[in-house]
Amino acid sequence: MIHISDIHKRYQMGPTMVNALGGVSLQIEAGEFVAITGPSGSGKSTLMNIIGCLDSPDSGSYLLAGEEVAELAPDDLAEIRNLRVGFVFQTFNLLPRATALENVELPLIYRGIGARRRRATAQAMLERVGLDDRMTHLPTELSGGQSQRVAIARALVGGPALILADEPTGALDTRTGEEIMALFEELNHDGVTLILVTHDNALAAHADRLVRLLDGLIVDNRAGVIV
Amino acid sequence: MTGRARLVMLWENSAMSFRSILSNKVRAFLTALGVVIGVASVIGLTALGHGAGIAVESRLSNLGANLLIVYSGEPRGTSLVRQRTTNIAPMLTADDLEFIDSLPSDLVVKTARESSQNGQLKFENRNTVATVIGTDPNYPDIRNFHPMYGSFFSELDMESRRNVVAIGVQTYRELFPDGRDPLGATIRINGLPFHVIAIMEEKGSPTQDASVLIPFTTYRRSLSGSDNYAIINIQAASTDVMYELQSTIENEMLRLRRVPSMEMANFYIANQMDLIGTVTGVADTFTLLLAGIAAISLLVGGIGIMNIMLVSVTERTREIGVRMALGAKGRHVMTQFLTEAVILSAGGGLIGVLLGYLFSWGAQRFGGLASVVTPDSVLIAFSFAVVIGLFFGGYPAYRASRLDPIEALRYE
Ligand SMILES: Nc1ncnc2c1ncn2[C@@H]1O[C@H](COP(=O)(O)OP(=O)(O)O)[C@@H](O)[C@H]1O
Ligand SMILES: [Mg+2]
Repeated sequence: MIHISDIHKRYQMGPTMVNALGGVSLQIEAGEFVAITGPSGSGKSTLMNIIGCLDSPDSGSYLLAGEEVAELAPDDLAEIRNLRVGFVFQTFNLLPRATALENVELPLIYRGIGARRRRATAQAMLERVGLDDRMTHLPTELSGGQSQRVAIARALVGGPALILADEPTGALDTRTGEEIMALFEELNHDGVTLILVTHDNALAAHADRLVRLLDGLIVDNRAGVIV
Repeated sequence: MTGRARLVMLWENSAMSFRSILSNKVRAFLTALGVVIGVASVIGLTALGHGAGIAVESRLSNLGANLLIVYSGEPRGTSLVRQRTTNIAPMLTADDLEFIDSLPSDLVVKTARESSQNGQLKFENRNTVATVIGTDPNYPDIRNFHPMYGSFFSELDMESRRNVVAIGVQTYRELFPDGRDPLGATIRINGLPFHVIAIMEEKGSPTQDASVLIPFTTYRRSLSGSDNYAIINIQAASTDVMYELQSTIENEMLRLRRVPSMEMANFYIANQMDLIGTVTGVADTFTLLLAGIAAISLLVGGIGIMNIMLVSVTERTREIGVRMALGAKGRHVMTQFLTEAVILSAGGGLIGVLLGYLFSWGAQRFGGLASVVTPDSVLIAFSFAVVIGLFFGGYPAYRASRLDPIEALRYE
């Protein structure tokens, strides 16, 4: 589903250029659960943003479901994100003034789906992540674990082929983090392609495959568990 | 994007904007305040200007309906109220009057001759000076200057050249300070005895309130000795014919005098329409000026909206990033902020309209000012407010729509 070949991404940091990705090639098949690991600053988020069409590479090719997306315009990328990608962030990124339900509805709004259908779909998603009783709560009234469940429901609501999670348990305690990981595994079992970014090897162990980055290069790419 | 999807977006944008505005009511109110004041002052000040124009117009109409006045002498500006400040040499003749009276009734309704001079008035031991006007029984109708007590002299009084007098209210107060009933009393004008038959209504203008009116025939015999008159008052059939009537009379009077043009004539004609036109023209200019000043404050209000919208976009950078990550396109973000700016300005405009009406009502009720809100001003001020929201909200909204989602998500 994902065919990335020789992708480069450089950032200007003051006077110097940082090679965030220095020629990355990667293939991910539909239904896979891939963990991207590596130390801080190794380029994990940059790679994930490109995979999620939030960002474009400076050079290289990226085929998403057979379509070249490396050089698409911002609005076309927005449409791909809306239809095919669900993001889960470390800090949840819920809109503070919107209820859990309204947050989950957001991707459907940009798809132009009417209020009634939107509501029903969002409710079903919140039920799926176990938040039937928190729908009208504001983010400030939710615990960290609950907030991340809302964010996952929001990522899932549009039925994306791909879920991208960047350090999704980074702001949670270990037990809650495990619960969230269990939810991700469940989703993956149901057929969602899952890419998890983490620097935590224990979490990465949940994945089918492990991609390790160092200084913007893939140094390890293999199936199975590392300890 | 389908029509239905557009509708969904429009609705959601409005809902989001309302929520965002309501989440910070005080700030929203202060932001819109400039527009509120701008719209209210456009409407309120226009109402005052318009009201003043109407008031002046009605006061001028009060001089008489469809009034045309032929003056003897050189023109001295368009004045319908000048004639009794001086004693005008009577140079209008019976031929002039005859011609005017011969005009069809769809041009001329009625006429009244008029001459005047200052006279010495005396009753018992009291003396005063007043303008003594000799005129015809039609005078009260034409000049809209009626007796409030007693009745004006009649055709019979004219024919018999009776020594009867209708006195202005100020003259009455000076001659009869004890407030007694003056009807039947005999006063002396330049030593001659006159019976008081009426007190004229108060007009608030000294030239009318300090005058006394006697039959023209009596005036000619006892005071002037001249067959000519200084003024012919004419009531035209309608406002539409006034200019036509004026030129008809001018042409004939020039012909009678064998004078080629009005520049060399010894008469001129004042037209009520001219005066009303001049005065309302001044009022309109004044109104426009006030509205212009108010519009500037509306513009300043727009800058206030832009300022706050820029702050709002910066504050919500992260929110914009999240929305973009979830699939919002540039135009979605753009319309969201534009909607918010327009709701702010339109809401401010609406409050401004209400305040404008309130201001106008208050000026009338408590300030005693004539004030009339014109629908035009409401429409223009409100539309202007909305346009200002679009215009000044446009730049912040554009900036929001061009944010890079990655940068926006990293924003703290
Ligand atoms: N927007 C940016 N501007 C400048 N430098 C950036 C930006 N994003 C990432 N970088 C740099 O690129 C490198 C890789 O960053 P990132 O992908 O966030 O790493 P990770 O997620 O693995 O911590 C880092 O050196 C980081 O400082
Ligand atoms: Mg990172």
